[in-house]
Order: sequence, then structure tokens, then C-alpha cells
Amino acid sequence: MVKIPVLKSITEANALLADAIRARFVQQDVLVLNIIASPGAGKTTLLERTIEKLHGELRLSVIEGDPTTSLDSERIGAAGVPVVQINTDGGCHLEARMIQVALEQLDVEDADVVIIENVGNLLCPTGWDLGEDAKVVVASLPEGDDKPLKYPMAFATAQAVVINKIDLEPYLPAQASVLRQNALRINPDLAVFEVSALTGQGLEGWLGWIRTKLAKKRES
Amino acid sequence: MHEASITEAMLDLALEYAQGQRITDIYLQVGRMSFVVPGCVEFYFEHLSKGSLAEGATLHFETVPLEMTCTDCGRQADLSKWADEQPRTIMVQALARGCQCGSQNLRVTGGTGFNMLSIGVEAAPTSRKEKENEE
Repeated sequence: MVKIPVLKSITEANALLADAIRARFVQQDVLVLNIIASPGAGKTTLLERTIEKLHGELRLSVIEGDPTTSLDSERIGAAGVPVVQINTDGGCHLEARMIQVALEQLDVEDADVVIIENVGNLLCPTGWDLGEDAKVVVASLPEGDDKPLKYPMAFATAQAVVINKIDLEPYLPAQASVLRQNALRINPDLAVFEVSALTGQGLEGWLGWIRTKLAKKRES
Repeated sequence: MHEASITEAMLDLALEYAQGQRITDIYLQVGRMSFVVPGCVEFYFEHLSKGSLAEGATLHFETVPLEMTCTDCGRQADLSKWADEQPRTIMVQALARGCQCGSQNLRVTGGTGFNMLSIGVEAAPTSRKEKENEE
């Protein structure tokens, strides 16, 4: 046998493509967020509310990852922003090559912020760079306040955590303060927001974070 | 499903380096926090490599332990006493104990990757350069 050294990360092809996508977004001054959460955490509802609140102020575009259906992209389309659907055909996460294809159908020049809604899953999406500026985890209170300890890599690689469904706190054994504490134990640099996407409670902090991120990107 | 796409990427990388030669072995490094399950990779590899130059190749997995570093003093945490535990348990235990400098700010700095170290191809009596690489 002849040994040929490789010494490469298996996901290097993905990383290279993600860097190319990132470079393109830098050129176009567009902020890109990669939203990661378990199924049912409220990613799409948070997006709908975010679109509504930022309407007329920032131009948003959305890339929707979904294993099989177009239900979410229909909701986002109804909210009135450009949306591209990626069906992963059962796949558990989005990859940079899928974003590249999606971008062919999106006029990024006309956007300030592109939000990628990843497939509902707290494990696999964390391992795939999509060329985003920041990963954001949406963790809803009914899932339990120990989520950061069970899925530490999602929280370790994110820049912000949106704790959703806090309007349900009186009915649950889970506490937003404990979830926040656990998230910060895994990653002390996290920006944490406690919101109810349904009622609109607490959204200002989250919207402010998006504004600041975009402004910082455009300054640099 | 995760392992299917990761195995596909792994197979592509191996075939790229083999440059048309038959692959007999693939040497891989799996981080304990990579969430890559070697058994799953083997299962998908058998299926995906069929008909390719990597069909029948043996996969060798080397495990890379979890590594955590203090963001305040830069010390690497000693995780040896939990070596047999699940990586999440190790992480939670290490965070609870903190660093010996008193800081609670530990970050995962290793054991998250899935890397290919090398591939083994069938020795062919061709160029001198290949012979030099022979073991």
C-alpha cells in the first residue's frame, strides 16, 4: 500500500464555499444570519414577527430550509418579503452548496439582511458553515431550560440566543432565567433575548441586535 | 442523515487525492464532540462507495478527545478524570468545576472536527515518486 497524506477537514469543501459566499455578502454589505433551533421552537413565527417589525426600515430576504414541505416559505412569502425555499429532501441540515443555489434565485443587492432558517435540529446544522455573519439559536421555554447543556455546540458556536415563548413561563416548570444562565455557562459571549414571538413581548432587544450587527458590518 | 452527507464529502475527498488509483484504506480522525458516529459512516460508506475506486476500502477511525481552554488565563482544562464519560457530561462537569485560576469561562477548543489524515492506495509499479512514499 502507498500512503497519500491528506490532512484535511472532511467539511473543507463546504468551508471554502462558505467563505466565498461570505466574501460576496461583504461586498454587498448584507448581514447574514443563520437561525438554528429544534422543530417547533418558533423560528418561523420569530421571522414573521421580525419581518413585520422591521418593515419599511430594513429590507429582509429569507432562505427557508425544510426537509420536505414549502409550508414555512408560504408563511414568509405571505409576510411580504422575498423568500427562497430549499428542500433538503429529508436531510437534517443546510450546506453551503444549497445556499449557493438558493442565492441564484435571490436579488441580494436589494436586501439589507438575509435570514437563513435552518432545518429544525440542534445538532447537525452547527457543523456546517453557510457563509453567515452569525448563528442565532432559538430556544423555546417549553423545550426545557437545560437545552444548552444537552446541545452545547449549538450554543457554543452561536452569537445570540433568542429564548422564545416566555409568555408560557407561568405554566411551565422551566424558567427563562435558568435557560439564560445555562446558555451563558456554555458561551459567556452570547447575547440573550427573552421574547414571545407570538405576543411580540421582548422583541425590541432582538431587533436592536440585528440593527447593531448590520451597522457594525457596514462600518468595517 | 447527517452521516450520509458527511460520508459523501469524505468519499469525494478520498477520491480526489487518489487521482484514479484504487483506495484500500482511509485514515480518519473523529473528535468526540464532532457528533459523527463511526458505525454510521461505515454503513453509508459501504453503500456510497459501491462502483467507485474506494469500494471495499477499510476505514480506520482515531478518536480525538474533547479539549477545553480557559478564555481568561489560557490554561487547558484537565479533563482526564472524565475520559470515559459522554462528551456532554465532560463539558458540563468541567464548566461546573471551572478553571484552576477561578474563572468559569471555559471554551471547547478541540475534539469537534472530522478529519482525513491519509489514504492508502494500491501500490502500482509506476513513478519513482510513488515508490519513495511506499511503506
